[in-house]
Order: sequence, then structure tokens, then C-alpha cells
Amino acid sequence: MDLLPTEEQLEIIGTVKAQLESDFSLNDLAERDGQDQVIDDTLWQRCAELGWFALGISEEDGGVGYSLVEEALLFEEVGAHATPGPFLATVLAAHVAADCGESELLGQILSGERRVALAEPEDGSRHRITDHGGADLALAISGSRAAIFDLARTEITPELSLDPLVPLGTVSLDSDPLCAVDDPSISLRASVLVAAELAGIARATAEQSTEYGKDREQFGRPVGSFQALKHRCADMAVRADAAMNLTRLAALSVVAGHNDAEFQSEAARVLATQAALENATWNVQNHGGIGFTWEHTAHRYVTRAQFRARTAGTPHDHLAALLGAPAT
Amino acid sequence: MNLDLTAEEQAFRDEASTWLAENLPTEERPPEGAEMRAFDLAWQRTLFDGGWAGINWPVEYGGRGLSDIQQMIWYEEFAKADPPFTLNNSCTFVGNNHGGPTLILKGSDEQKTEHLPKILEGETVWCQGFSEPGAGSDLASLSTKAVVDGDELVVTGQKTWTSYAHVADLQELLVRTDPDAPKHKGISWVICDMRSPGIEIREIETMSHVTDFCEVFYDEVRIPLTNVVGEINDGWRVAMSTLSFERGTAFMADQVELAATVERLISEARERTGADGRRPAIADEDIAKRLSMARAEVTALRAMTIAGISRTARTGVPGPEGSMIRLFHGELHQRIYRLAMDIVGTEALRLTPVDGEGVWTGPYLQSFAYTIGGGTTDIQRNIVGERVLGLPRQ
Repeated sequence: MDLLPTEEQLEIIGTVKAQLESDFSLNDLAERDGQDQVIDDTLWQRCAELGWFALGISEEDGGVGYSLVEEALLFEEVGAHATPGPFLATVLAAHVAADCGESELLGQILSGERRVALAEPEDGSRHRITDHGGADLALAISGSRAAIFDLARTEITPELSLDPLVPLGTVSLDSDPLCAVDDPSISLRASVLVAAELAGIARATAEQSTEYGKDREQFGRPVGSFQALKHRCADMAVRADAAMNLTRLAALSVVAGHNDAEFQSEAARVLATQAALENATWNVQNHGGIGFTWEHTAHRYVTRAQFRARTAGTPHDHLAALLGAPAT
Repeated sequence: MNLDLTAEEQAFRDEASTWLAENLPTEERPPEGAEMRAFDLAWQRTLFDGGWAGINWPVEYGGRGLSDIQQMIWYEEFAKADPPFTLNNSCTFVGNNHGGPTLILKGSDEQKTEHLPKILEGETVWCQGFSEPGAGSDLASLSTKAVVDGDELVVTGQKTWTSYAHVADLQELLVRTDPDAPKHKGISWVICDMRSPGIEIREIETMSHVTDFCEVFYDEVRIPLTNVVGEINDGWRVAMSTLSFERGTAFMADQVELAATVERLISEARERTGADGRRPAIADEDIAKRLSMARAEVTALRAMTIAGISRTARTGVPGPEGSMIRLFHGELHQRIYRLAMDIVGTEALRLTPVDGEGVWTGPYLQSFAYTIGGGTTDIQRNIVGERVLGLPRQ
């Protein structure tokens, strides 16, 4: 039993971090605020070439042959860098295509050739859709049900999004899906990956506040020397550590097929949601006036955390699911 | 990263579960005095005879020489066995969880041979002598003085918040041996025989009605210099390793038990009528939400504990990250018993003992200690801020 990443896993984390820092700088991406498509094709293809969409797909299906654990490590970094893009829809759709034996579709998704938006039901066939710019497919998820739809000939009504880097709209998905599954492993995977992204947000905001506490001086000394800020940073670090370790434990439990996989995944989702929302909120406060500006990245973690808290189920759904899950 | 148990660990789990089913005492623990001491020591002896004492202690001092993971498995099995008492609520706690581990790390061969087996075999009770009336959070400002006289130290002063001093044989005692050195440099960590002439013990009643809390007065108490653990005047570093055990592994049992407590509380909330007098307590939206969050949090506590064990397995000694677990655990423990008060309705007005089956109000009162003892949560936040995050000192 061991909850720390192996050398190989540390290498994956390192590569992902380096790539996100160089090519997904939030300050550069800010130029695309409010646009339909925030990640251009070149950048998306690069993610595909790095194998990011294929980490948990078996080698015989053309994937990298790792598991949900490595996918979760990727998503933790995606969250920590507030990286926009349809990562969740893409990774889940790849698994759906693989489960359905749709190898051609799977290949197109893994290569970045076809993009997948995420759709969640709002009312009947009406769905809320995100990251639809440049996407010709949509993954509709609802609990353990997941279906891939062709977006050709569908009309998307764009809406103003809380998060300027997560394009939002509504769409009616009336046609038959290209393929569909009803499999609890889809909802477990979604819970763990969203939890990982939220845990990453909790971690990055804790780090951002801590760095600011070291650099920013007032009253002649670094503000992080004052207990008011120091203690908040400590609380943020604890929340992030709890969310991160629990998410990793949940990923391992799902991969091992343990009886408590659902319990662990829901617990991770619930805890990481709380950690990300709390930390992102305090992070703005800790930065004072600069934290309230558009230029600073603090607000991006707030809106992303609010988005992810409602991606693949709401906080209310997950609290209820956790209380209802068998403990072992 | 893996959750696999080795064949040895799995066999260990099965063995523990079988043994507990056959050997767990059914009677409740006497709440105080000589009867309590006898009960705690008898249970420690039973554990030792069964091979369950000092699971992660070296074999040469009577331990099993097994891993922290196995120690955790033991706690998990103990909690699952539905015991009539909690494992850490025992006068053997200090010996097992700080005195002993500190000696293993910093003691001389003579000190280890003399004391460690007796702790495991249930022959001695240890207590802690760290805090003073004038040295609480600022522990390093302690002023109980010890003067070298020949081959002895002569100790005069006062310690406080010493649990079980009145039933203890030995004490881990911090004294000032160099009044002229900077405050962290003039302290020594010594083993004090609690039956020495010049010691006076007074009991302090706590808000939870527990009477094993004491203050200890020293009037020219003579302690052999051979009882100094580590170097003389180097006691602060020894004490820090004591506290790292306390913050690292000592509360592992509590953490595991807390998960079982939350499950019991969920059952209570299903069975009891809620505040509206009609539906079960769990039908209340607020109660349900807090119970769900409590489940998530105790699960996270377990994950943090396993991560801590994984780190210690690489470095050998628990690091300052233990303070993060301690902080999270202390506040969570308190939140859970506060939630219990909201679930049990007017039962919340009936006082129960702090330990035993189906009790909530005694443990609720006792839970206030969890954010104070072993360094307040404010001090834990300083440690996390300064030693884990590297924020500047005030």
C-alpha cells in the first residue's frame, strides 16, 4: 500500500506540467476570452500526440495502457493550471468508443482529429453543452449513461458563460447516438476525474496564496508572516492535501475494482468540490485588490471551480450519492 | 501508487481479526483510579501476549518489527471489532506513542533495554511533563529548572496538563538545564521516576468530568544524569521528535475509530426521530449534508494517513506534514461530535461517560480537547505555515 506517485508517474506529472506551463499560459489564453473555440487545432493535436487522451486506453485499442490513476494525475494538473478544453468529454468519449468497439471513432478522438464537446441534460432532449467550438461530436452523460452524438446538422444556441474560457450553449440532441453505453464505470471515472481537476484547483490556489504571502510586503514585512494570512494558507494546504490524497485513493480503488470504489469516488468528488470552492474563494481575498482584477488569474479558479462543481452532476447529487453508498 | 496488501499483510489482517474476535474484553473500562490503571495494563499485557503490542517497534525491544501499514491494519481491525472502549483512551498512551518511540530514536542502549520491554508488557505507565503554567503554546519558554549536582539533576518547578500523572510510574520530563543559553538550547529531556521524593500531584477536573488530568510540583527532585535522553541541553530536538510521533502516527488509532463513529452516527440518524418529531433525523437536509460531508472527510483522513505512512516509509521519521493530519483530524473530530449532538435531540441533555458503547454527550465534551492537546490547532497552523509551506515567522 503506497499513496505516493512512482518515478514513472512523477515523470508523467513533470511532462504534463512543463507542457501546460509553456503552451497553455493563462495570460496568453486570456486573449480568447469569450470565444467559441479557445484551444486551437494545433494545440489540441499536440495534446493528442503527447498521448493525453489515451492514457487509460489499453494498448490493443491504440492507447498508452496506463489506467484511471494516470488519467487522474493529468486532470490534477489540468485543474492546477486552470487549463481550458474538453479534456473530460474527450477522455470519457474515448472509453465509450472503446467499450462500443467503435475503433475508427476511437482513433479519431485519440488523434485529436475529431473533437468532443460535453453535453448534460437539462430538460428532456435539451442539453447544456460546453466546449463546442471546433467540436463535431458531443458526449452526453447522465449518471452511468453515456452516448456519443454527431453534432453535424445540430444547432447550438450560444450563451454567456460564467467562465470565459469554457464556451457554453444549449443544444437539442434528438437524433440517435453514434454509440451509447450504460455502465457504472463511466460515472466512477467521471467522478474521479472531476475530483482530480477540483483537487488541482485547490492545490494551485493554496500555492498561489502562499507565494503571494512570501512576496507581498506590508507594514514592512511579508504579509505571510501574519497569522491571519498564514493560518488561512495552512487551512488551504490542508484542504488541498486532503482532496488530492483522497482522489488518488479513489482512483486506485476504482482500478482495483474494490467494493468501496463508488464510496471512495463520491467521497473524493464531495471533498474536492468543497476544497476547490473554499480555496479559490480565499485565494481572491488573500490577494486583496489585485485579486479582484480581471488581469490576475485568481478569478479564473473561482469560475472554473464553480463550473466543475456542476460538471457530471451537481454538489447536491454527489452529497446524496455519497450518503447512500455502501461503506465497504 | 497502489492499494495492494502483500500476502503477509493480508495474513496479518486475518490473524488480527480472528484474535480480536476471541480476545477483546467485553466489560467497559473503569473510568478512574487504580481500577482504571489495572484494566489498561491488563489489556496491554493481553495485547503483548497475543503479539499485538509494539507492532512497528524493533524486535530487540519486544516489538514485532513490522511496518506502519501493519500498525494501521491493526487499528482498522480493532475498530471493526466494535470494542467497548477506544484504544487511545488509556494510561498506556504516552508510553506506547511518545515515550517509547522517542527512546527508540534517541535513547541509549541501557535506556532502551530498561524501559521499552516494560512499556510493551504492560508493566509501566508513562506520563508527559512538557507544558507549564507559563509555557503552553510557547513551550520552549519552560522554566522548571534542573541543576547538576554530582551525577544527579536536582529538579524544581511545576508541570501541568499531565494526563495520568497520578497513576504513572515514569514521566518524559522537559527541564531547563542551562538558564543562560537561548531558550531552545538550554532544555533537557529526562526520564523522571514519579515515585521520587519531592513530587506532589494534584488532580485537575476537566470540562468533560475526566479526573485523570493533573498538575505536578517538583521540589528538589533528584534524577540520575543517566536518565537524560539524548545530550544534555539538546532536549528541544528530542522533544521535537516526540511531538512528530504525536503528530504523525500516535493518533492513527483515533482516525480509524472516527470512521467507525461516523457510520454509527449515520445509523443513529436513520433510527432516531428528527427535530420535526415525525421523520428520521437523516431526512433533514442539513443533517444529511453534514453526515455526507463527515463521511467524505473521514475517508480523506484515511487517505492522508496512508500518504503520511508512505512518506515516512521513504524518510524514516514523520515529517512536519503530520501537523496537517493532526489539524484536520482535531477539527473533524470536534465537528463530528457537534453533529452528533444535533442528531440525538434531547438526549443531548443527558450526560454520559466519555467512553463506552452508544455514548455521545461525554465524548462531545471531551472533543474540545482535540483542538488543544498536543499543541493547539493555532500552533499546528503555524507549523504548517512555516515548516511545510515556508512562510516567514512572525
